[in-house]
Amino acid sequence: MGRSILVTGGSGYFGEILAGDAVANGDRVRIFDINPPAATAPGVEYVHGDVRDRDAVRAACDGVDVVLHNVAQVPLARDRELFRSVNVVGTANLLVAARDAGVSKVVHTSSSAVFGIPESNPVTEETPCRPLEAYGRAKLEAEVLCREAVASGLDVTVIRPRTILGHGRLGIFGVLFEFVADGAPVYVLGPGDNRYQFVHTADLADACLRAAGREGPSVYNIGTTEFGTMRDTLQALVDHAGTGSEVRSLPVAPAAAAMRVLATVGMAPFAPYHWLLYGRSLWFDVTRARTELGWEPTRSNASMIIESYDWFLAHRDEVESSPRSHHQSAVRPGLLRILKRLR
Amino acid sequence: MTSDSRTARVAVVTGAAGWLGQNLVRALAGHRERVRCLVHDAEQAPLLEIVAPSIETVVGDVRDPATVDRLFDAIGPAAVFNAAGVIHPGGRTRELFDVNVGGAQLVLDRARRTGVTRFVHVSSNSPFGANATPNQRFTEDSPYNPYLAYGESKMEAEQLVQRSYDRGDLATVIIRAPWFYGPFQPERQTRFFSAVRRGMFPIPGAGTNCRSLAYTGNLVHGLLCAEVADGAAGGAYWVADAEPYELREVIQGVRVALEAEGLPVSQRQPHLPALAGTVAAALDRVLQDRGLYVQGLHVLGELKDTIACDISRARADLGYEPATGLVDGMRASVRWCLERGARI
Repeated sequence: MGRSILVTGGSGYFGEILAGDAVANGDRVRIFDINPPAATAPGVEYVHGDVRDRDAVRAACDGVDVVLHNVAQVPLARDRELFRSVNVVGTANLLVAARDAGVSKVVHTSSSAVFGIPESNPVTEETPCRPLEAYGRAKLEAEVLCREAVASGLDVTVIRPRTILGHGRLGIFGVLFEFVADGAPVYVLGPGDNRYQFVHTADLADACLRAAGREGPSVYNIGTTEFGTMRDTLQALVDHAGTGSEVRSLPVAPAAAAMRVLATVGMAPFAPYHWLLYGRSLWFDVTRARTELGWEPTRSNASMIIESYDWFLAHRDEVESSPRSHHQSAVRPGLLRILKRLR
Repeated sequence: MTSDSRTARVAVVTGAAGWLGQNLVRALAGHRERVRCLVHDAEQAPLLEIVAPSIETVVGDVRDPATVDRLFDAIGPAAVFNAAGVIHPGGRTRELFDVNVGGAQLVLDRARRTGVTRFVHVSSNSPFGANATPNQRFTEDSPYNPYLAYGESKMEAEQLVQRSYDRGDLATVIIRAPWFYGPFQPERQTRFFSAVRRGMFPIPGAGTNCRSLAYTGNLVHGLLCAEVADGAAGGAYWVADAEPYELREVIQGVRVALEAEGLPVSQRQPHLPALAGTVAAALDRVLQDRGLYVQGLHVLGELKDTIACDISRARADLGYEPATGLVDGMRASVRWCLERGARI
């Protein structure tokens, strides 16, 4: 007899895959999301609702053993008020409802953005959080709420993923993949020698489901163990693509300034998170997840960016039409198309 | 924390999502069966309820009789902590009277009809203005001398509370708190920390004028003492840190706290001519006479004054003993900011 699991944000990029993996594990799954899932698998119940609506959240938690909380406005939303109302207050709504409903475990999906640019790497669960932008601050506030919920009797585990890749992942990567597919150059900030770690959707889902089965509150940093520099990762991608696309460097300060300006006037799909962190090293020590959860990452940076790219190629025509969440949609490249012509 | 037989099993807190309220609610949560909280915005409700299952929220405005009815609905015997108030109104002074006086009247009225065991009212130094000389300290015998609209509104509220006691309606205790500091601080306090850190917070004159400050933890302790102290009903008490600080000591205390929490601090200390404070206070007065409020002027106008109190009577009558001093309290505030990723 499987657990009854509520997946909030279960129609989003990661939530949908997580819900599917939970079903495959034999769990009964209820999806709570403002959008319906693309396809409702057998054994999945969809509850429409907004995490800002307390009554809706309360109803969704009824009769649930475990909540996997993934609702969030992602950096691309660039809306401080939404970061607060959805990521902070929405999390409080969920935690209070889960506690009142007698939920035995909540797994809260946080973000590596809570760390900002770390003073040193690797980043452990004990590294001080110093977020640099509104999204990271809101995700950190949500973590504080998780700790308060733990103190008030709820079992909450926090998962902090590195940047997520996998089939179906688009968002900002949609622009990158389009450049590569069309043989245009792709860019790193500065030399691109910053060590940048990704995590595969399937590995992250595995970590969440393992955390859901482990009693007692904890925090886990989650990322692949096979990764190199940003340039290495993109090089592996262009080598695989064989489209003539090559990796070029952009000077850090002017590029970051240009990203900021273009984003501010709405002409390029960037958020502060991107220009602050894309050129910086940030990687997790995942020892705690390995020892406490028995979790092992199965994909490298290179294999997952290639997988994501191949999925993009296979689905390029569809993704331009259907309205989905930020990370499931191709963002509009805006003025970046000019860069694309600089062959 | 006090939880002897005299504490009420149920507490009602107005202004529960405010700076003091957040601290008070957390102190009450684990020790009371129910803590009924009035919060202004719906978004504040889950952020408080997360603290403990004992916390119940009522969303609404203290000026709205129907809201205050809901606050006391089926509450039974309870202690009331009236911490709702406006300090810096948004542009016009009218709000000060509507909330601080009108709200207090509504809460007093509903509390009387509910069988409240004790009514603890949070007041301020503002009904008493500034000390006449640098060495004078306010005591419970000091006469009212309200400073501008806020001071008048808090004075009127005190008078309502006192009348309610005099009529035999409620066992009231007034707690007068000066400038406070501590966790759950509003953004203006974080901006104050930032300005000190960057060496951009100006001191008018030499900064040797004295100010009493109250660490929120000390103040919460004072409120809880006021709930149970025998013979305190009908009284009004100054509650603050053990001794007043010179203004320049306060600024230095913030610097020390920031550095102790790992934030490099500029040692630059800009000074304004003492006259700047006087001019700001005069302008503030002219504007407030016309019902207008400009926060920056008001703050600068008050900064030059000595506003210091003597807490002897709270010690003697309430058993109040401030446990936290300036640097430790400021460090706790800085940590609170950093834990939430605030930029200082």
